[in-house]
Amino acid sequence: MPPSQLKQLKSSLRDGGLLGPQQSKKQKRQNAKSGASAQSRIQRDSALQAIRDRFNPFEIKTTSRAKFDVTTRDKAPKLTASQARPGVTKSLGEERRRQTLLREMDRKNKVGGILDRRFGENDPTMTPEERAAERFARESQKKLRKESMFNLEEDEDEFQLTHGGQSLSLDGANIGDDFQERDMDEDEDSDSELSRKRKRAFADEENDGPEILDEDEEGEELPERKKSKHEVMKEVIAKSKFHKLERQKAKEDDDDLREELDKGLPDLFEMLRGVQPPPKPETPKDDLASMNPERAALLAGNSPEDPESQYDQRLKQLTFDKRSQPTDRTKTAEEKAEEDAQRLKALEAERLRRMRGDEPSEDEDEDEEEESEGEGDGSAESDEESLPDDAKAFGLQLPADQTNTRPELAVEDEDDFVIDDDLVETRSDVSLSFIESDSEMESEEESEDEQDPQEDELINGLTLPEHKSGDIAGASNDTEEPSNGLAYTYPCPGSHEEFLQIIEAVSIQDLPTVVQRIRALHHPRLHKDNKMKLGRFAGILVEHVSYMADQPEHPPFAVVENILRHIHSLAKTHPDNVCQAYRARLRQIATDRPLNLRPSDLIILTGVATIFPTSDHFHAIATPAHLCLARYLGQGAVSTLADLTTGTYAASLFLQYQTVSKRYMPEFINFTLNTLCHLSPKEPSESLGYFPSRSPATSLRLTSSKPVSSRKLQFWDMTDLSSTTTTTTTTITTTHEETKLSLITTLATLLGTASDLWTDKSAYTEVFEPVQKVLNHLTRSCKGKISPAARQILQATLDKITGQLPQARAARRPLLLHNHRPLAIKTAIPKFEESFNPNKHYDPDRERAESNRLKAEYKRERKGAMRELRKDANFIAREKLREKKERDAEYEKKYKRLVAEVQNEEGREANAYEREKRMRQGKR
Amino acid sequence: MPAPTVKPVASKKRKNVKEAAVPSSKRRAVADPDRADATANIQELEDQISESRKYYNNIATLISMLSTDEAAKKPNMAVAVALCRVFSRLIAGGNMTETSRAAENEKVIVAWLKERCREYQKLLLSIIRESDSSSQQITALTLCLCLINERATHLPGEDIQVWSSGLFKGVFESVVEATNGQAVLSEFIEKTKEFEDVRYFTFMQLAEYATTERSSETIDLLISILSASDSVPGPEHEFESLYTQSSQKNKKVVSVNSQKKRAQDAWLAILRNNLSQSQRKNLLRIMVHNIEPWFNRPELLMDFLTDSYNVGGATSLLALSGLFFLIQEKNLDYPQFYHKLYSLLDADLLHSKHRSRFFRLMNTFLASTHLPATLIASFIKRLSRLALNAPPPAIVAIVPFMYNLLKEHPTCALMMHRNVRPESLKAQLEAEGMDDPFDPSETDPVRTNAIESSLWEIETLQSHYHPNVAAIARIISEQFTKQFYNLEDFLDYTYQGMLQAELGTEDRPFKRTPVVEYQIPKRIFTDRLLEEDGGQDTAPGSLVRELWGFA
Repeated sequence: MPPSQLKQLKSSLRDGGLLGPQQSKKQKRQNAKSGASAQSRIQRDSALQAIRDRFNPFEIKTTSRAKFDVTTRDKAPKLTASQARPGVTKSLGEERRRQTLLREMDRKNKVGGILDRRFGENDPTMTPEERAAERFARESQKKLRKESMFNLEEDEDEFQLTHGGQSLSLDGANIGDDFQERDMDEDEDSDSELSRKRKRAFADEENDGPEILDEDEEGEELPERKKSKHEVMKEVIAKSKFHKLERQKAKEDDDDLREELDKGLPDLFEMLRGVQPPPKPETPKDDLASMNPERAALLAGNSPEDPESQYDQRLKQLTFDKRSQPTDRTKTAEEKAEEDAQRLKALEAERLRRMRGDEPSEDEDEDEEEESEGEGDGSAESDEESLPDDAKAFGLQLPADQTNTRPELAVEDEDDFVIDDDLVETRSDVSLSFIESDSEMESEEESEDEQDPQEDELINGLTLPEHKSGDIAGASNDTEEPSNGLAYTYPCPGSHEEFLQIIEAVSIQDLPTVVQRIRALHHPRLHKDNKMKLGRFAGILVEHVSYMADQPEHPPFAVVENILRHIHSLAKTHPDNVCQAYRARLRQIATDRPLNLRPSDLIILTGVATIFPTSDHFHAIATPAHLCLARYLGQGAVSTLADLTTGTYAASLFLQYQTVSKRYMPEFINFTLNTLCHLSPKEPSESLGYFPSRSPATSLRLTSSKPVSSRKLQFWDMTDLSSTTTTTTTTITTTHEETKLSLITTLATLLGTASDLWTDKSAYTEVFEPVQKVLNHLTRSCKGKISPAARQILQATLDKITGQLPQARAARRPLLLHNHRPLAIKTAIPKFEESFNPNKHYDPDRERAESNRLKAEYKRERKGAMRELRKDANFIAREKLREKKERDAEYEKKYKRLVAEVQNEEGREANAYEREKRMRQGKR
Repeated sequence: MPAPTVKPVASKKRKNVKEAAVPSSKRRAVADPDRADATANIQELEDQISESRKYYNNIATLISMLSTDEAAKKPNMAVAVALCRVFSRLIAGGNMTETSRAAENEKVIVAWLKERCREYQKLLLSIIRESDSSSQQITALTLCLCLINERATHLPGEDIQVWSSGLFKGVFESVVEATNGQAVLSEFIEKTKEFEDVRYFTFMQLAEYATTERSSETIDLLISILSASDSVPGPEHEFESLYTQSSQKNKKVVSVNSQKKRAQDAWLAILRNNLSQSQRKNLLRIMVHNIEPWFNRPELLMDFLTDSYNVGGATSLLALSGLFFLIQEKNLDYPQFYHKLYSLLDADLLHSKHRSRFFRLMNTFLASTHLPATLIASFIKRLSRLALNAPPPAIVAIVPFMYNLLKEHPTCALMMHRNVRPESLKAQLEAEGMDDPFDPSETDPVRTNAIESSLWEIETLQSHYHPNVAAIARIISEQFTKQFYNLEDFLDYTYQGMLQAELGTEDRPFKRTPVVEYQIPKRIFTDRLLEEDGGQDTAPGSLVRELWGFA
């Protein structure tokens, strides 16, 4: 049991050294002298305070239980967290309230009062001295502003006393002042330096340049001196003049510099080009004679330049000499070949990647997701359409490849022209006369001032066919070149109608030339709009190809081919336009005549095969083109031989599309087998496979009794067959029989090719067993009706397939598609958190966690605010009570005083009465 | 023998009529333009009849006006209308009822009136049958129905008779046999839709009419009449819209059951007639919605459905839904149902336009988890065989369907993943390869041995030319994490829809510029610069160039 409080106090006092043996008077005196007593008093006070604190159990609040030590990232670990001083905080709060709340309370329901607006009065950061200085500065400023006309103190500035038009003021350094006054000033001013300055100032003044000096004089030395209005105005004017002068000067300098730079420009161009400029033609000089004399004079005036600037120019030319920029080394043939090989390899790799499609796992999953989410056809499809594209990350690289990084590509782009050159040379042995063509092309050259080598090359390319055209024209005995129907310039058409107008008079053979000229004239380097124009032109060409093919007289395929190649070359620079044009064609096919393809459509589709990589997994044009073909093969009409021919061409095109990627097309098999079945002389007795049978209305079977021979199918068979009805029946039948047989052989060849393409497919057997059956049936039924050659073709295909079927059988294994890692069983174990902190929120849902946090914060704030408000209310009540008590006490005091007063009076009166009474009694 | 005795009376009256009628007819003949006079004349005659019995002979006059030579082609409708009013009034006034106590000459008059009425009815029917103008036909039809109404309400014993064997029978027949009867037929159909008693008796007449074999055009008409009345009354139906009020009393007309029975008889009569193939398909198409609800005993449809089902092809597909209804609702036991269903999976199925319909049904049939895995495997394998020759929209539907089946029947997963267990067998397989154990010619789906096979066909389709189809085919080799695919989302694809999805409807800027082939080919159609390649055409497009001549 601890000792009693008193004993504790005593012991602690003793420990603190406050109680001790009494000190002798001598000691006291010594201490006082040395000042130790004062120190010891401080010590004593602090010790006493500590003891008091210790003995007051409510001063410090400690948490009841000790917490474990933790290390936190907080910079200042709260040591005092365990020791709160409720008394102190309470009194602090009280104090703050007294300062704010109490004031407000006092001010309540009161109006008026004085607002202290003195400068810096409420700014605690200013020392009184600063405050005073600032106030003084403000006051003087205010005075300077002269805002009042009636300010008597500053009157003298405005209305100066004058005598004879001269100021009478003594201190102003005015213009009208005479020497004596100045001397007087000097005398008055004892400072010698100042006087010297002033002297100089006055000297300058006489040179009409007084402003600046005056200014700084007044600014520095004579701050108190006021300037007259006139003076100030003069100053301002002079200043503005000065600045204007300066600006002019600067501008002149700039102009000079610019001129110099301009002079250097041609050199710069030369250097950029890296070639020596061709010797300037002398023509301008000659022209001078015939020119307008004024203009000639102008030119002449310009040309002879002063030798110095010429020298400068030369110097600059030398400094920026070509040596400083080495050209690319000419590559050896091997290097070039290797580079080509590298590039081709890269392109091939890229193509293969596109063929594979995308990263197999992710995108298809997404595909499936979207498929399965039950979206409408359109949206799901369109999304699918975009997905594989996203995976490529290829489209962005392509334009860069073409323009910047690979200059060879640019050359490749011109490939068309190069080849055309060859074409020309084979036909006409031209010795290229540049001068002639140049003179012809002068009008254009004039318009294109910039001459870079590329341009030259282009013009080169342009002039060649021109020459050729001239030859052609000569051959067709038309001497006048420009009027022979082939102009040198053609406008770039904005629509197909315009193009048709342009080429109205042009024979179809010359069409490539026209196209080439349009392309050359509107080369994108010549004008910034040309790129757009050519883009449109590319679309028009696509349209024109199909237009040509639809004409009753068939265009020569060489021309169509040339145009298609032009389109291809344009497609490299304007892929968007060409692709849009192609898509428009395909869309038209799909909506207008999906089951009745025209020759023009087939030519367009053939163009697709060469212009676009049909092996891509997804391609914005190749995929719809595939669908168009497939739709025709699957559902198109099979009623006439022409239909069958069209179908056969479509089938060949399809195989052409898939030569690289080797994808499977059910419609191809269906169409070929169905057609073969219906062309064969005898109807098969039983179904030969799972392909649906679509029979023509009239029999198209091979009927001839004598062997016919097959021929190579012609493209125009598909239209000619339906149109040739006028010839005699016998020839019709023979040609028809021939066509039938050729169809059979072509289809058989196609099947053979398909069999090669699809040998690796796991369902090869399923696909080609029906094919084998059909071919067997065909050979059996055709026996004796076909030529040996055709028979051989059939037999060859049959042999090929019969050979490949056992191979397919041998390669067949049960499918092992699901070699996936087995899926983990879903776990039901609760997720334990290591070092769980109840204050932390482990909500995986971010939004919910956020909102929870906000809620908690709100709650905390609310609680705090309520607590404060409650304390405020308590405080107010307490204050009111205090006031009331004060008032009451005052009242009580007053009351008592009054009562006492009255009682006093009463007492006195009573005493007087008593006295009176006693006196009366005494009298009696 | 009333006829001879009637004569004098009639002749006497006719004399009276002559005085009034003859000039009028003359006037009409002379002055056709003033039709007002003619109509006034008709009006007068009609008024006289209602005034007194002595003018009854006017009826004969009017009928004679109606029955001129070309009457059936160009009848005078005003006369017809007037006569209708006359007869309606007479019937309503009881002038045509024969009371047993009536005097002899009264009876004679009644008989005479009845005779005229019959004559008039015949004329009306001939108008319906032969008139050129459809408005006249429709008027005649309306007049007939008016007359029927009057007769059914006022003549005792005629309330059923006039419908079943009397005038209505004639009306029905003439409507069906009318020469250019489109308008009148649709009017008649309107009437049957509107009035429930008319419908009832139409069913009755139709059933009777269709018992004899009719031409296919007639049957088309009958079908259109029958299928027009598609709202089957519910069991608590109140019969309110009746044409004749007397039908209310007729228990049969106002009972749902007997209505349905009549309809059922009518349908059966049609179904038993000699139907053409397209009619059969048409009937099958409306079977579930229009026909079956009328049947009190749907099992009566069984013969028709099973016959249709056995026809094969598209007809079978269509019969399937009706049959399914019977199996589901009426507990019909169809022997070897799956056998038959399996046989429906033929080469044309996936190219048929009923494909999605069939898939929906098949989805229901194969939904049971209690079906043997061998059977399911047969279906899967068969479908995958067919998919090899199917258009893309069909493949798109087949693969998710297959996925659902495989998910439901994990035993069938062997078709996608099979580890050959005994090492000896495996070695043998490695050495020789294998044939497909599946027997495509086997018709019994339990014995096809499909479960021993693998889905090579679908694996091949993973390299389909269309990227989306290939992607869908690839789900077979992905992990089966998805519960099932909603088949509905895959059923309604078409070539057109797919193309549209690829191409859109108008030009949109590309998200990504399509790739253009890098190399510009030297030749596309011609043999240009062939010697440069040493005479061997190996450039792209050589295949087409080799096979086709471009000149």
